[in-house]
Parts: sequence; C-alpha cells; structure tokens
Amino acid sequence: MRGRKAVVGLCAVGGIIILWFALTSWFGIIPAGRFPTPAQFWVALKQIELRGYAGSTLVDHALHSLRLIVISFLVAVGTGIPLGLLMGWNRRAEALINPVFMLIRPIPPLAWIPLAILWLGLGDAAKVMVIWFAAFVPSVINAHAGVRNIDKSVIEAARMLGTPPLRMAGEVIVPASLPMIFTGLRLSLQASWTTLVAAELVGALVGVGFVLNMAQQDIYPAMILVGMLTVGVLGWATTFVLGLVERRVLSWSLQGRG
Amino acid sequence: MGSIRFEGVGKVFGNARTGFKALDDVSLAIGEKEFVAIVGPSGCGKTTCLRMVAGFEGVSAGKVLVNDRPVVRPGADRAVVFQQFALFPWKTVRQNIEFGLRNKRIGKDQRDHLVAGSLKLMSLESHGDAYPHQLSGGMQQRVAIARAYVLDPDVLLMDEPFGALDAQTRVVMQEELVRLARVNPRTVLFITHAVEEAVYLADRVAIMSRRPGTIKEIIDVKTVRLAERWDGHERIEDVMDLESFVHLRTRIWKSLREEKAEIGH
Ligand SMILES: Nc1ncnc2c1ncn2[C@@H]1O[C@H](COP(=O)(O)OP(=O)(O)OP(=O)(O)O)[C@@H](O)[C@H]1O
Ligand SMILES: [Mg+2]
Repeated sequence: MRGRKAVVGLCAVGGIIILWFALTSWFGIIPAGRFPTPAQFWVALKQIELRGYAGSTLVDHALHSLRLIVISFLVAVGTGIPLGLLMGWNRRAEALINPVFMLIRPIPPLAWIPLAILWLGLGDAAKVMVIWFAAFVPSVINAHAGVRNIDKSVIEAARMLGTPPLRMAGEVIVPASLPMIFTGLRLSLQASWTTLVAAELVGALVGVGFVLNMAQQDIYPAMILVGMLTVGVLGWATTFVLGLVERRVLSWSLQGRG
Repeated sequence: MGSIRFEGVGKVFGNARTGFKALDDVSLAIGEKEFVAIVGPSGCGKTTCLRMVAGFEGVSAGKVLVNDRPVVRPGADRAVVFQQFALFPWKTVRQNIEFGLRNKRIGKDQRDHLVAGSLKLMSLESHGDAYPHQLSGGMQQRVAIARAYVLDPDVLLMDEPFGALDAQTRVVMQEELVRLARVNPRTVLFITHAVEEAVYLADRVAIMSRRPGTIKEIIDVKTVRLAERWDGHERIEDVMDLESFVHLRTRIWKSLREEKAEIGH
C-alpha cells in the first residue's frame, strides 16, 4: 500500500517535469523570460553550487536557513506547548493568558518584522523572534485544545489511582494530549518555513530567502526557481523527520498504527 | 475495612434557584465485603451516588461515609471500574495495572509480583505488553478490573462495567466477577441496568425511584442464594433457570415497572 503510494507520487512528480519541458523547451508556450527552461534551471543550480550566488553556495544558504528554522521551531514549541498545556489544565492561567493571547494572535507574524529589526537588528536574532511568533501560535492552540479534549474519565481514573501532581502532568496529561500536540507541531513547522522566507527577504546576507531576493533583483528566473525548490525540498524533509518522530512517539495510538 | 454508608444524602446540580434535585434523602448501608447492586430507571441518579463515594462529586445534603469517615477526595482505597474502561491508551496492559501501585510507592519486585498475579487471575498473561487498542472490549474491561483489584482497595465501585460489552462477553465477565469475588471478596457497589445481572451478582439489590432519586426498596438476594444453593451451579444460565432466581428477578422487575409507569402522570 505504502509502496503504491510512493509510485503514484513519483509519477506525479515525473508528470510535472515532463509538462515543464513541454511548456518551456519543447513548445515554448511559456517564454523563457517568464519561467526558466529545465536547462536554464540546471545551469543556475550548477552555478550556485559550484561558484556560489548571493555570497555563498546553495548548501551554505540552505544550512543557514535550516539552522534558523530548527532553532526558532524549538524555541517556539518549547514555549508554546507548556503554555498551551498550562492554559488547558489551569482555569486561572487560562483566564489570565487567553485574552492577551486572543489579542496578539490575529497580528500577522510578518507585522512583527519592523519591531524585531528595531529591537534586534538585521541579524538572526530578529528572524528567530519573528518565526517564534508565527510558530508559537499553533503550538499553544493545539496543546490547549489537546488538554481540553482529554477524556474526562481518564483523568478521573488517574485521580482515583492516587496519582501525584507531577506524575499526573508527565504520565497522563501530556501523553493524552500528544496527538493534538503533534497536529500543532506540524502547523508550527509549516508556519516557520512560511515566515523564514519572508523574514530573510527583508534583511539577510545569507539564506534561501536572501537567494530569492537577490535573484529577483538580478531578474534571474532560473535562480528564483532554484530558491523556491530548495525551500520546498527542505520543508518536505523537515516535515518528514517530524512525521518519523510522531510515528515513534504515538506508536500506542490508533492513528499511529498505520 | 470497607463499609459504605449513605445517610440522608441529597444532591442538587446547578445553583439553588435554577438547579435541580437529582437525589433526595438516599440512605443505604453497605457492610464489609458485601456486594450491593443498584438498579433504577435511567437518570435517577445511580451514577451520581457512585461518584459521591468515589470522591468525584460532593453531596448537597447528608453524608457519604466510607469506613465511617466522610469522603473528601478520590483515592486508591475506593477503586472505580468505569463503563468505558478509561484505560491509559499510551500505556501497555502491564503499565496500566502497575500505575496505581507505583503511586502507592510499592517497590519494583513487589509490583512485578502483584501485576503478574493479577494478569494471571484475569487470564491476561499473554497480553501484558499489548496496548489497550489492540485488545477486545472484554479484555480491556478485564484490564480495568485488574487495575482496580491489584490495589487491594477497601471498596470497588463499578458503574455499568459490562454495559459496553456484547451479550456473550458480558456473561463471561459476570461469571469471572463471581469467581473473583470468591477468591478475593471485596465491598462492591455495582450499578447496572440489567436486573438479571444484579440478581446474579449481588448480595442485596437496591432499587431506586425516579427523579429525584431515592432508595425505594432493598431486596435480599444472599439469603435466597445460600438457601437455594445457587453456588452449586457453575454456569450462569443454570442459575437463571432456577425458580428462586426467576422469582426474585420478576419481583425487582415489577418494582422497576411501577417507576416507569409513573411517567404518565
Ligand atoms: N454534572 C452534572 N451537572 C448537571 N446535571 C447532572 C450532572 N450529572 C448528572 N446530572 C443529572 O443528574 C441526574 C442523575 O444522573 P445520573 O448520571 O446519576 O443518572 P443515572 O441513574 O446514572 O442514569 P443512567 O442510568 O442513564 O446512567 C440526571 O438527570 C443527569 O442529567
Ligand atoms: Mg449512569
């Protein structure tokens, strides 16, 4: 079943590549100035990897972005999940935090960029802050909902078994909310990538977003495509790793069985 | 150890003005190692009674005493078996059973010994490392019973524990509970909709009236059971065929029917 899915996926990717050839190189339906041909793409890819573009090679740009993502993501979920859990478990904390959260939540993460740059300059710290805001929200919401949706009788069972508070948190509340928490993690990761590219478009000297920015200024469609696909591949890879972790951690659940 | 007493217990849900009276003047005394079943029309407050003994719900009037002390909070001396099992899905069968023992700070060796014993008692030996979702409903409920029994509680509280099971599994579980009660007698408060189940399992059956719920009648089953030697029959269907069983069942049934008929007025 899984094998067949992979085959279907590969066919779809293959189909798109053929379509790409057809629309650009073979029949020229899309002019080369608008969208690069596969050959131009290949040249751009070789250029950035061998000679570098926008100051570094593609691997360096990618590693830099990836490092930013990992740091920001960990900071965001490391703060968001505990906050969400606290809000779900403690009525008073919820009453206190939720109104503030509701007010801050609708502000688009990118709207924080000016403030972040003002506070932290053009370096990585400002980007971490912006990504943190973006990735933080889904983590909080899902951890909160995860606790809220715990089957009441499971909590009562734990209370009846005389569970002390710390063990209640660590062995009952957190595991019971884990399926929802992972939903939040996936959304947080998605939000991290979306925001990273935007943050790097504004002020950066290295990174995939910077490559995109430079390529736009140089009117270099092939390099734009290289940057975009790099984001796609990296995003897919990080999601894949998260999926592996999830399958491991949630092996006990029905969802994790497949 | 293990007496339960309801003394003029009342329960109002919601506030005094808009709230409604779920229980009114419930009085019932359950002796040590006695098995009492509560039957009654739906919504009459059976679950509420059990939850007050468990410590999940407070009283609005009167007292609920366990071992002559008022119930304040939930605790492992009053183990609950829930209708929907309420196992920890992220723990294996063994870890589920072991959890309460860890909370009681019982050492590893002793724990292993107790868990192994209760796996054996509930015929779960080959499923110790399975997760709950890998088990059938009947097996899951056996785990829940093992998790409660292994704590050696003073009282066992069971709220329609077999309600979610199919008819055959239910019968097996009823026989198993009787066997368990012989090996290791406990004070049991057992709630059920099934009159036959109540008569088969209980020493006494308390019948509750419709809202606001109160104890309407208490039927002594034990005297009849001993006199008529029900225990001489291995299988549940043989007991259920006995004239003395049918007689008691019909009597409780009629009493419940009166309750249902009153809705019309
Ligand atoms: N937390 C609560 N808040 C408000 N009303 C409640 C609450 N718990 C129970 N009730 C009400 O109290 C009454 C008694 O409920 P309870 O669950 O004890 O009945 P029951 O006899 O167990 O019913 P069933 O046989 O259907 O399980 C019901 O009318 C129910 O709606
Ligand atoms: Mg009930």
